[in-house]
Amino acid sequence: MAYQLYRNTTLGNSLQESLDELIQSQQITPQLALQVLLQFDKAINSALAQRVRNRVNFRGSLNTYRFCDNVWTFVLNDVEFREVTELIKVDKVKIVACDGK
Amino acid sequence: MACVNPVPKLYRSVIDDVIEGVRDLFAEEGIEEQVLKDLKQLWETKVLQSKATEDFFRNSIHSPLFTLQLPHSLHQTLQSSTASLVIPAGRTLSSFTTAELGTSNSSANFTFPGYPIHVPAGVTLQTASGHLYKVNVPIMVTQSSGRANILQHPIQQVFQQLGQPSMIQTSVPRLNPCSLQTTTEKSQRIETVLEQPTILHSGPVDRKHLENATSDILVPPGNEHKMMSEALLSQQESSQYINLAGVTFPLQVSQTNSNVEPVLSVSASMTQNLHGGPLSTGPQGALHQHMTDIQLHVLKNRMYGCDSVKQPRNVEDSSSLPVSEKDSKSQMDLNIQVTDDDINEIIQIDGTGDTSSNEEIGSTRDGDENEFLGIIDAGDLKVLEEEADSISNEDSTANSSDNEDPRVDIVEEDPLNSGDDVSEQDVPDLFDTDNVIVCQYDKIHRSKNKWKFYLKDGVMCFGGRDYVFAKAIGDAEW
Repeated sequence: MAYQLYRNTTLGNSLQESLDELIQSQQITPQLALQVLLQFDKAINSALAQRVRNRVNFRGSLNTYRFCDNVWTFVLNDVEFREVTELIKVDKVKIVACDGK
Repeated sequence: MACVNPVPKLYRSVIDDVIEGVRDLFAEEGIEEQVLKDLKQLWETKVLQSKATEDFFRNSIHSPLFTLQLPHSLHQTLQSSTASLVIPAGRTLSSFTTAELGTSNSSANFTFPGYPIHVPAGVTLQTASGHLYKVNVPIMVTQSSGRANILQHPIQQVFQQLGQPSMIQTSVPRLNPCSLQTTTEKSQRIETVLEQPTILHSGPVDRKHLENATSDILVPPGNEHKMMSEALLSQQESSQYINLAGVTFPLQVSQTNSNVEPVLSVSASMTQNLHGGPLSTGPQGALHQHMTDIQLHVLKNRMYGCDSVKQPRNVEDSSSLPVSEKDSKSQMDLNIQVTDDDINEIIQIDGTGDTSSNEEIGSTRDGDENEFLGIIDAGDLKVLEEEADSISNEDSTANSSDNEDPRVDIVEEDPLNSGDDVSEQDVPDLFDTDNVIVCQYDKIHRSKNKWKFYLKDGVMCFGGRDYVFAKAIGDAEW
């Protein structure tokens, strides 16, 4: 069972919105939409695991941390994300992480 | 060479995988293939429209092609001002020199290089789709957000659309629609358009031409601007409500629970009314009703314990309604004392004192509603809130000290207790951010207040743009 974690990403949200539109126009059933989302979970999990290879480093200050139901939620401030190619700075970032094992 | 952004390809592959994966599902359900195609179309469109993958489209098409038609008269000018045509960046594009322009055609094709190009006056630009733009004054063609847009530097600029592509002397290789034509760029162009409003003021005639031909670039600015400004305004308005309430409202407004928000906004607006002027007893009753609703909703959500309980109390105080709840009576008495200069009673929080003082104040309030309400402002509300907070935190010891001089003591208590108050706005607003990373953790390590994060398989979204990583290692200090 793949994590449904990635549904709240641009890709996941746009899929959910599209499915909602189709449900509204009654072209598909909600049950089918759920199946599509499950398929999406599998696809995105495997794609990230296999097709992505890059590494990122980051540094910042930790504002809050939360560990509940084996899910870590952090809020960091003034973070710099460093990739080989580029540097990204944000003043606030929320990290939601599920157990990777 | 800079690495290619992997996100668009990845997203495309995920979309394709998912669509293929559900194809059978759709078939089993007896749903037409067309619906599946619609789904794919909708999905891709939404992804494109978001800023998440600015190169999403780019990777699948060639870079936009511009054809420059240069009048002969400019030839000499160009020779001397080659540098102004191409910003030297070591790219092969620099081959676009006057040497090539020395032909009778005086035209050259070049791929948009990704850096701003200064185009002198008198040049005709033609996009791959065939639309012509004659530039009367020097402009700078830049590429923003991965697409080519035409901005202008000088204030006076006139773009003239020259007519149909068939008028072009030289043949223009037609590629896939360049970014100038892609409708998906709309959101980005709107921003560009808004940044450069003068382009639209260049003249009614030109504008018409432009609007007809370049609907992608020059979306009627009024509408779009209105939409955006309205969006901004609505946000500002909501923040106005928050400021007026001055207290814990901002926390609640940002909640994701839709049940809470509308109720809160109503109460916020009512609070605003209180500040503004007279409040009839009718709305008061409704307000009270809303207050209890808020309490119900908020308590239901179980969010931010004391904050949620505190908020309705504050609103009730500010609305100066007779409080039906016994436990908040004492606080209200205190608060009223604070705000009413004329009443210098000694408050008795416990014992028989509160009932009598409550009645007295209640009657007074009915009569002097307007004045009383007028007294309340954000500053007082803050005091009220902190007062309520201190009361909720401490026992009657603090309250008893208020008997002598509520005003002074309350002022003194603020700095005393302010240390206890971790800014309540933190929690709800804190988790509401645009920059989110969704990932899995391999290991989270902490040593004293030094945290180390070992993350993997993550999708990051910063200000709308998406990134991915296989591994991420981070350090932070708490």
